[in-house]
Amino acid sequence: MSRTQYDIETTDDGLIEVLTDRSAIVDSEAGAISSQLVSTDGLTTTYLLLPAIFLIVTLFGGLRFSSLDNSFIFMPPPLVCLLLAAAATIQFVRAGLIGLTGWFDGRSGGIRNVANTLILLTVFTATTQAYNSLLPESGLAMWVIGFCLVWSAWTGLFSDADAKKLLKSTGAVFALAFVVKYLILANLTAPEGGSWLQRMIHDPGKEAITWLIDLPRYSALTGYVQFAALAAYLLGLFLTPSKPTMRQ
Amino acid sequence: MKPINIHISSIVLVTASLAFIGFLYLSQPKTLAEVSTKSSVAIGTYATDKAEFDRGLELFRKDDLIGARTAFERADPERRDANTQFYIAYSYYRQGWGRVSSDDTLFKPGLDAVERVIALDPTYRSSDASLTMRTPSELKNELEEGLKITPSDLDPLKLFRERK
Repeated sequence: MSRTQYDIETTDDGLIEVLTDRSAIVDSEAGAISSQLVSTDGLTTTYLLLPAIFLIVTLFGGLRFSSLDNSFIFMPPPLVCLLLAAAATIQFVRAGLIGLTGWFDGRSGGIRNVANTLILLTVFTATTQAYNSLLPESGLAMWVIGFCLVWSAWTGLFSDADAKKLLKSTGAVFALAFVVKYLILANLTAPEGGSWLQRMIHDPGKEAITWLIDLPRYSALTGYVQFAALAAYLLGLFLTPSKPTMRQ
Repeated sequence: MKPINIHISSIVLVTASLAFIGFLYLSQPKTLAEVSTKSSVAIGTYATDKAEFDRGLELFRKDDLIGARTAFERADPERRDANTQFYIAYSYYRQGWGRVSSDDTLFKPGLDAVERVIALDPTYRSSDASLTMRTPSELKNELEEGLKITPSDLDPLKLFRERK
Protein backbone atom coordinates (compact mmCIF):
# COMPACT_ATOMS: atom_id res chain seq x y z
CA MET A 1 0.00 0.00 0.00
CA SER A 2 1.32 3.41 -0.90
CA ARG A 3 1.49 5.94 1.87
CA THR A 4 1.45 9.70 1.83
CA GLN A 5 2.54 11.99 4.62
CA TYR A 6 -0.15 14.46 5.80
CA ASP A 7 -0.95 16.45 8.90
CA ILE A 8 -3.66 14.44 10.51
CA GLU A 9 -5.57 15.31 13.65
CA THR A 10 -8.03 13.14 15.50
CA THR A 11 -10.96 15.12 16.80
CA ASP A 12 -13.12 14.45 19.83
CA ASP A 13 -16.05 13.21 17.76
CA GLY A 14 -14.04 10.51 16.05
CA LEU A 15 -13.41 12.37 12.81
CA ILE A 16 -9.98 12.38 11.27
CA GLU A 17 -9.13 15.69 9.65
CA VAL A 18 -6.66 15.86 6.81
CA LEU A 19 -5.36 19.37 7.04
CA THR A 20 -3.45 19.80 3.81
CA ASP A 21 -4.89 17.71 1.03
CA ARG A 22 -8.21 16.08 0.32
CA SER A 23 -6.78 13.14 -1.66
CA ALA A 24 -5.03 11.47 1.21
CA ILE A 25 -4.42 7.75 1.17
CA VAL A 26 -4.46 6.57 4.73
CA ASP A 27 -3.22 3.21 5.93
CA SER A 28 -6.28 1.68 7.51
CA GLU A 29 -4.33 -1.25 8.85
CA ALA A 30 -2.93 0.98 11.55
CA GLY A 31 -6.28 1.31 13.30
CA ALA A 32 -9.94 2.10 12.90
CA ILE A 33 -9.40 5.22 10.91
CA SER A 34 -11.35 4.24 7.84
CA SER A 35 -14.67 5.40 9.29
CA GLN A 36 -14.76 9.05 8.31
CA LEU A 37 -12.29 11.22 6.54
CA VAL A 38 -13.23 14.83 5.94
CA SER A 39 -11.08 17.29 4.05
CA THR A 40 -11.17 20.68 5.74
CA ASP A 41 -9.83 22.34 2.58
CA GLY A 42 -12.88 21.18 0.65
CA LEU A 43 -15.14 22.11 3.54
CA THR A 44 -13.77 25.64 3.75
CA THR A 45 -14.32 26.17 0.02
CA THR A 46 -17.83 24.76 0.10
CA TYR A 47 -19.04 26.23 3.36
CA LEU A 48 -17.25 29.58 3.51
CA LEU A 49 -15.88 30.63 0.12
CA LEU A 50 -18.87 29.52 -1.93
CA PRO A 51 -21.57 31.27 0.13
CA ALA A 52 -19.35 34.35 0.34
CA ILE A 53 -19.21 34.51 -3.48
CA PHE A 54 -22.96 34.04 -3.82
CA LEU A 55 -23.64 36.60 -1.09
CA ILE A 56 -21.48 39.15 -2.91
CA VAL A 57 -23.53 38.53 -6.05
CA THR A 58 -26.75 38.85 -4.02
CA LEU A 59 -25.56 42.19 -2.66
CA PHE A 60 -24.24 43.73 -5.85
CA GLY A 61 -26.63 42.19 -8.40
CA GLY A 62 -29.28 44.80 -7.69
CA LEU A 63 -26.94 47.73 -7.16
CA ARG A 64 -27.06 50.61 -9.63
CA PHE A 65 -25.35 53.97 -9.45
CA SER A 66 -27.12 57.24 -10.16
CA SER A 67 -25.88 59.00 -13.26
CA LEU A 68 -26.02 62.36 -11.45
CA ASP A 69 -23.89 61.74 -8.36
CA ASN A 70 -23.00 58.01 -8.35
CA SER A 71 -25.21 57.50 -5.28
CA PHE A 72 -26.41 53.95 -4.59
CA ILE A 73 -29.71 52.70 -5.95
CA PHE A 74 -30.66 49.27 -4.62
CA MET A 75 -33.10 47.69 -7.07
CA PRO A 76 -35.08 44.85 -5.50
CA PRO A 77 -35.62 41.97 -7.96
CA PRO A 78 -38.94 41.94 -9.82
CA LEU A 79 -41.12 38.83 -9.55
CA VAL A 80 -40.04 37.54 -12.96
CA CYS A 81 -36.45 37.25 -11.66
CA LEU A 82 -37.63 34.93 -8.90
CA LEU A 83 -39.41 32.76 -11.47
CA LEU A 84 -36.34 32.71 -13.71
CA ALA A 85 -34.14 31.80 -10.73
CA ALA A 86 -36.53 29.00 -9.76
CA ALA A 87 -36.39 27.64 -13.31
CA ALA A 88 -32.58 27.92 -13.32
CA THR A 89 -32.34 26.09 -9.97
CA ILE A 90 -34.49 23.25 -11.32
CA GLN A 91 -32.12 23.06 -14.31
CA PHE A 92 -29.10 22.93 -11.97
CA VAL A 93 -30.63 19.98 -10.14
CA ARG A 94 -31.71 18.16 -13.31
CA ALA A 95 -28.28 18.61 -14.89
CA GLY A 96 -26.55 17.29 -11.77
CA LEU A 97 -24.79 20.56 -10.97
CA ILE A 98 -26.49 20.32 -7.59
CA GLY A 99 -27.10 16.78 -6.39
CA LEU A 100 -29.93 17.06 -3.88
CA THR A 101 -29.26 13.65 -2.33
CA GLY A 102 -25.71 14.77 -1.58
CA TRP A 103 -26.78 18.12 -0.15
CA PHE A 104 -29.55 16.71 2.03
CA ASP A 105 -28.42 13.56 3.78
CA GLY A 106 -30.50 11.98 6.52
CA ARG A 107 -27.38 10.42 8.07
CA SER A 108 -25.71 13.81 8.50
CA GLY A 109 -26.22 16.00 11.52
CA GLY A 110 -28.85 18.72 11.65
CA ILE A 111 -26.29 21.51 11.64
CA ARG A 112 -24.71 20.27 8.44
CA ASN A 113 -28.10 20.04 6.75
CA VAL A 114 -28.99 23.57 7.91
CA ALA A 115 -25.66 24.85 6.54
CA ASN A 116 -26.30 23.07 3.23
CA THR A 117 -29.82 24.52 2.99
CA LEU A 118 -28.47 28.01 3.57
CA ILE A 119 -25.79 27.55 0.88
CA LEU A 120 -28.44 26.45 -1.60
CA LEU A 121 -30.48 29.48 -0.55
CA THR A 122 -27.53 31.72 -1.44
CA VAL A 123 -27.32 29.99 -4.85
CA PHE A 124 -30.98 30.88 -5.37
CA THR A 125 -30.65 34.50 -4.18
CA ALA A 126 -27.53 35.00 -6.30
CA THR A 127 -29.30 33.57 -9.36
CA THR A 128 -32.24 35.91 -8.72
CA GLN A 129 -29.91 38.89 -8.49
CA ALA A 130 -27.97 37.80 -11.59
CA TYR A 131 -31.23 37.96 -13.55
CA ASN A 132 -32.05 41.25 -11.81
CA SER A 133 -28.72 42.56 -13.03
CA LEU A 134 -29.35 41.52 -16.63
CA LEU A 135 -32.98 42.48 -17.00
CA PRO A 136 -33.54 46.15 -17.99
CA GLU A 137 -35.53 47.96 -15.32
CA SER A 138 -38.34 49.33 -17.46
CA GLY A 139 -39.69 49.96 -20.93
CA LEU A 140 -39.67 48.03 -24.16
CA ALA A 141 -36.17 46.63 -23.58
CA MET A 142 -37.35 44.96 -20.35
CA TRP A 143 -40.15 43.17 -22.20
CA VAL A 144 -37.94 42.04 -25.09
CA ILE A 145 -35.01 40.82 -22.99
CA GLY A 146 -37.37 39.43 -20.34
CA PHE A 147 -39.16 37.42 -23.01
CA CYS A 148 -35.84 36.07 -24.34
CA LEU A 149 -34.71 35.04 -20.84
CA VAL A 150 -38.04 33.38 -20.05
CA TRP A 151 -37.94 31.57 -23.41
CA SER A 152 -34.40 30.39 -22.70
CA ALA A 153 -35.32 29.21 -19.19
CA TRP A 154 -38.46 27.46 -20.40
CA THR A 155 -36.70 25.51 -23.16
CA GLY A 156 -33.86 24.74 -20.75
CA LEU A 157 -36.29 23.08 -18.37
CA PHE A 158 -36.97 20.34 -20.92
CA SER A 159 -33.45 19.81 -22.22
CA ASP A 160 -31.14 17.03 -21.06
CA ALA A 161 -27.95 19.03 -20.66
CA ASP A 162 -25.22 17.86 -18.31
CA ALA A 163 -23.64 20.16 -15.73
CA LYS A 164 -20.79 21.25 -18.01
CA LYS A 165 -23.07 22.10 -20.93
CA LEU A 166 -25.48 23.90 -18.62
CA LEU A 167 -22.68 26.05 -17.22
CA LYS A 168 -21.55 26.93 -20.75
CA SER A 169 -25.05 27.80 -21.94
CA THR A 170 -25.76 29.86 -18.80
CA GLY A 171 -22.51 31.75 -19.34
CA ALA A 172 -23.39 32.35 -23.00
CA VAL A 173 -26.91 33.63 -22.23
CA PHE A 174 -25.61 35.90 -19.47
CA ALA A 175 -22.80 37.25 -21.66
CA LEU A 176 -25.24 38.09 -24.45
CA ALA A 177 -27.74 39.73 -22.09
CA PHE A 178 -24.90 41.71 -20.47
CA VAL A 179 -23.69 43.02 -23.85
CA VAL A 180 -27.22 44.05 -24.82
CA LYS A 181 -27.97 45.83 -21.55
CA TYR A 182 -24.65 47.35 -20.51
CA LEU A 183 -23.02 47.99 -23.88
CA ILE A 184 -25.70 48.47 -26.54
CA LEU A 185 -28.60 49.95 -24.53
CA ALA A 186 -26.32 51.89 -22.17
CA ASN A 187 -24.69 53.56 -25.16
CA LEU A 188 -28.07 54.49 -26.58
CA THR A 189 -29.11 56.16 -23.33
CA ALA A 190 -28.83 59.92 -23.11
CA PRO A 191 -27.07 61.21 -19.97
CA GLU A 192 -29.13 62.74 -17.18
CA GLY A 193 -28.84 66.37 -16.12
CA GLY A 194 -30.13 69.64 -17.49
CA SER A 195 -33.60 70.26 -18.81
CA TRP A 196 -35.37 68.09 -21.35
CA LEU A 197 -34.90 70.83 -23.98
CA GLN A 198 -31.15 71.10 -23.28
CA ARG A 199 -30.73 67.34 -23.60
CA MET A 200 -32.78 67.35 -26.82
CA ILE A 201 -30.58 70.03 -28.34
CA HIS A 202 -27.38 68.35 -27.16
CA ASP A 203 -28.17 64.87 -28.51
CA PRO A 204 -31.62 64.53 -30.08
CA GLY A 205 -31.11 60.93 -31.28
CA LYS A 206 -30.15 59.50 -27.90
CA GLU A 207 -32.78 61.54 -26.07
CA ALA A 208 -35.47 60.33 -28.45
CA ILE A 209 -34.42 56.65 -28.09
CA THR A 210 -34.20 56.99 -24.30
CA TRP A 211 -37.68 58.45 -24.22
CA LEU A 212 -39.19 56.06 -26.76
CA ILE A 213 -38.03 52.81 -25.16
CA ASP A 214 -37.94 54.24 -21.63
CA LEU A 215 -34.31 53.42 -20.86
CA PRO A 216 -33.11 53.95 -17.28
CA ARG A 217 -30.17 56.33 -16.86
CA TYR A 218 -27.35 55.00 -14.69
CA SER A 219 -23.71 55.84 -14.18
CA ALA A 220 -21.11 53.90 -16.22
CA LEU A 221 -19.86 52.47 -12.90
CA THR A 222 -22.98 50.26 -12.84
CA GLY A 223 -21.72 48.23 -15.81
CA TYR A 224 -18.34 47.57 -14.18
CA VAL A 225 -19.89 46.44 -10.89
CA GLN A 226 -22.39 44.21 -12.67
CA PHE A 227 -19.64 42.67 -14.80
CA ALA A 228 -17.77 41.73 -11.62
CA ALA A 229 -20.97 40.41 -10.00
CA LEU A 230 -21.83 38.21 -12.98
CA ALA A 231 -18.26 36.93 -13.26
CA ALA A 232 -18.38 36.06 -9.55
CA TYR A 233 -21.70 34.29 -10.07
CA LEU A 234 -20.33 32.10 -12.86
CA LEU A 235 -17.23 31.38 -10.78
CA GLY A 236 -19.49 30.39 -7.88
CA LEU A 237 -21.44 27.99 -10.11
CA PHE A 238 -18.17 26.53 -11.37
CA LEU A 239 -16.98 25.95 -7.80
CA THR A 240 -20.28 24.45 -6.63
CA PRO A 241 -19.74 20.76 -5.92
CA SER A 242 -22.42 18.24 -6.80
CA LYS A 243 -22.08 16.99 -3.22
CA PRO A 244 -20.92 19.29 -0.46
CA THR A 245 -18.29 17.16 1.32
CA MET A 246 -15.70 14.58 0.41
CA ARG A 247 -16.17 11.37 2.32
CA GLN A 248 -14.15 8.22 1.91
CA MET B 1 -10.78 23.62 12.15
CA LYS B 2 -13.37 21.02 13.06
CA PRO B 3 -16.10 20.37 10.45
CA ILE B 4 -18.81 21.31 12.96
CA ASN B 5 -17.16 24.71 13.46
CA ILE B 6 -17.02 25.26 9.70
CA HIS B 7 -20.72 24.42 9.43
CA ILE B 8 -21.61 26.80 12.25
CA SER B 9 -19.42 29.54 10.75
CA SER B 10 -21.19 29.04 7.43
CA ILE B 11 -24.62 29.32 9.06
CA VAL B 12 -23.61 32.52 10.88
CA LEU B 13 -22.04 34.01 7.72
CA VAL B 14 -25.05 33.33 5.52
CA THR B 15 -27.69 34.35 8.06
CA ALA B 16 -25.96 37.60 9.05
CA SER B 17 -25.13 38.53 5.47
CA LEU B 18 -28.63 37.85 4.15
CA ALA B 19 -30.07 39.94 6.98
CA PHE B 20 -27.68 42.79 6.15
CA ILE B 21 -28.46 42.59 2.41
CA GLY B 22 -32.19 42.56 3.14
CA PHE B 23 -31.73 45.58 5.38
CA LEU B 24 -29.85 47.46 2.61
CA TYR B 25 -32.53 46.75 0.02
CA LEU B 26 -35.29 47.80 2.43
CA SER B 27 -33.63 50.95 3.78
CA GLN B 28 -32.18 52.09 0.42
CA PRO B 29 -29.14 54.05 1.61
CA LYS B 30 -27.61 56.33 -1.02
CA THR B 31 -24.08 56.61 0.35
CA LEU B 32 -21.75 54.68 2.64
CA ALA B 33 -22.39 57.30 5.35
CA GLU B 34 -26.11 56.57 5.10
CA VAL B 35 -25.40 52.84 5.46
CA SER B 36 -23.73 53.66 8.76
CA THR B 37 -26.52 55.90 10.09
CA LYS B 38 -29.29 53.57 8.94
CA SER B 39 -27.46 50.65 10.56
CA SER B 40 -27.25 52.55 13.83
CA VAL B 41 -31.00 53.22 13.62
CA ALA B 42 -31.65 49.52 13.02
CA ILE B 43 -29.58 48.38 15.98
CA GLY B 44 -30.92 51.14 18.21
CA THR B 45 -27.74 53.17 18.75
CA TYR B 46 -28.80 56.18 16.68
CA ALA B 47 -28.42 59.54 18.40
CA THR B 48 -28.49 63.11 17.16
CA ASP B 49 -25.23 65.03 16.85
CA LYS B 50 -25.32 67.36 19.86
CA ALA B 51 -22.57 69.68 18.58
CA GLU B 52 -24.37 70.19 15.25
CA PHE B 53 -27.66 70.74 17.06
CA ASP B 54 -26.12 73.41 19.31
CA ARG B 55 -24.57 75.10 16.29
CA GLY B 56 -27.96 75.03 14.55
CA LEU B 57 -29.63 76.52 17.61
CA GLU B 58 -27.08 79.34 17.76
CA LEU B 59 -27.64 80.15 14.06
CA PHE B 60 -31.42 79.89 14.52
CA ARG B 61 -31.30 82.51 17.27
CA LYS B 62 -29.15 84.76 15.06
CA ASP B 63 -31.85 84.40 12.37
CA ASP B 64 -29.47 82.61 9.97
CA LEU B 65 -32.26 80.21 9.12
CA ILE B 66 -30.70 78.46 6.12
CA GLY B 67 -27.49 77.80 8.05
CA ALA B 68 -29.47 76.68 11.09
CA ARG B 69 -31.53 74.27 9.03
CA THR B 70 -28.43 72.78 7.42
CA ALA B 71 -26.91 72.20 10.86
CA PHE B 72 -30.15 70.68 12.18
CA GLU B 73 -30.33 68.34 9.18
CA ARG B 74 -26.76 67.26 9.81
CA ALA B 75 -27.58 66.72 13.47
CA ASP B 76 -30.51 64.44 12.66
CA PRO B 77 -29.96 62.93 9.20
CA GLU B 78 -32.49 60.16 9.80
CA ARG B 79 -35.20 62.62 10.94
CA ARG B 80 -35.95 60.72 14.09
CA ASP B 81 -35.62 63.40 16.75
CA ALA B 82 -38.81 65.38 17.38
CA ASN B 83 -36.98 68.36 18.92
CA THR B 84 -34.63 68.81 15.93
CA GLN B 85 -37.48 68.38 13.48
CA PHE B 86 -39.48 71.01 15.37
CA TYR B 87 -36.67 73.52 14.92
CA ILE B 88 -36.41 72.62 11.23
CA ALA B 89 -40.15 73.25 10.83
CA TYR B 90 -39.84 76.50 12.77
CA SER B 91 -36.93 77.65 10.59
CA TYR B 92 -39.06 77.09 7.48
CA TYR B 93 -41.88 79.09 9.07
CA ARG B 94 -39.65 82.01 10.02
CA GLN B 95 -37.91 82.10 6.65
CA GLY B 96 -41.13 81.82 4.66
CA TRP B 97 -43.16 84.24 6.75
CA GLY B 98 -44.08 87.54 5.09
CA ARG B 99 -46.12 90.47 6.25
CA VAL B 100 -48.16 90.49 3.04
CA SER B 101 -47.92 86.86 1.95
CA SER B 102 -46.00 83.77 2.95
CA ASP B 103 -43.68 81.73 0.75
CA ASP B 104 -45.45 78.47 -0.08
CA THR B 105 -42.23 76.81 -1.26
CA LEU B 106 -40.89 77.12 2.30
CA PHE B 107 -44.15 76.57 4.16
CA LYS B 108 -44.79 73.21 2.46
CA PRO B 109 -41.55 71.53 3.65
CA GLY B 110 -42.19 73.21 7.01
CA LEU B 111 -45.56 71.51 7.19
CA ASP B 112 -43.92 68.18 6.29
CA ALA B 113 -41.40 68.67 9.10
CA VAL B 114 -44.10 69.49 11.66
CA GLU B 115 -46.03 66.40 10.57
CA ARG B 116 -42.90 64.39 11.31
CA VAL B 117 -42.74 65.92 14.79
CA ILE B 118 -46.34 64.88 15.47
CA ALA B 119 -45.64 61.37 14.15
CA LEU B 120 -42.48 61.02 16.27
CA ASP B 121 -43.90 62.45 19.48
CA PRO B 122 -47.60 63.44 19.56
CA THR B 123 -47.17 65.04 23.01
CA TYR B 124 -44.08 67.05 22.10
CA ARG B 125 -43.73 70.49 23.70
CA SER B 126 -40.63 72.63 23.24
CA SER B 127 -38.85 73.84 26.36
CA ASP B 128 -37.36 76.83 24.51
CA ALA B 129 -38.83 79.92 26.19
CA SER B 130 -37.73 82.17 23.32
CA LEU B 131 -40.25 80.56 20.94
CA THR B 132 -43.75 81.99 20.70
CA MET B 133 -45.21 78.72 19.39
CA ARG B 134 -44.04 75.78 21.48
CA THR B 135 -46.24 72.94 20.32
CA PRO B 136 -46.36 71.33 16.86
CA SER B 137 -50.11 71.90 16.61
CA GLU B 138 -49.67 75.70 16.95
CA LEU B 139 -46.91 75.66 14.35
CA LYS B 140 -48.93 73.41 12.06
CA ASN B 141 -51.93 75.72 12.29
CA GLU B 142 -49.76 78.73 11.40
CA LEU B 143 -48.19 76.95 8.43
CA GLU B 144 -51.56 75.72 7.14
CA GLU B 145 -53.06 79.19 7.44
CA GLY B 146 -50.12 80.55 5.46
CA LEU B 147 -50.72 78.08 2.66
CA LYS B 148 -54.45 78.77 2.37
CA ILE B 149 -55.91 81.56 0.23
CA THR B 150 -58.84 83.07 2.13
CA PRO B 151 -60.67 86.45 2.15
CA SER B 152 -58.83 87.26 5.38
CA ASP B 153 -55.63 87.52 3.31
CA LEU B 154 -56.98 90.86 2.06
CA ASP B 155 -57.35 92.22 5.59
CA PRO B 156 -55.14 95.36 5.76
CA LEU B 157 -54.61 94.80 9.47
CA LYS B 158 -52.41 91.84 8.52
CA LEU B 159 -49.71 94.36 7.66
CA PHE B 160 -49.27 95.00 11.37
CA ARG B 161 -48.92 91.39 12.48
CA GLU B 162 -45.61 90.11 13.80
CA ARG B 163 -43.64 87.02 13.05
CA LYS B 164 -43.87 84.47 15.85
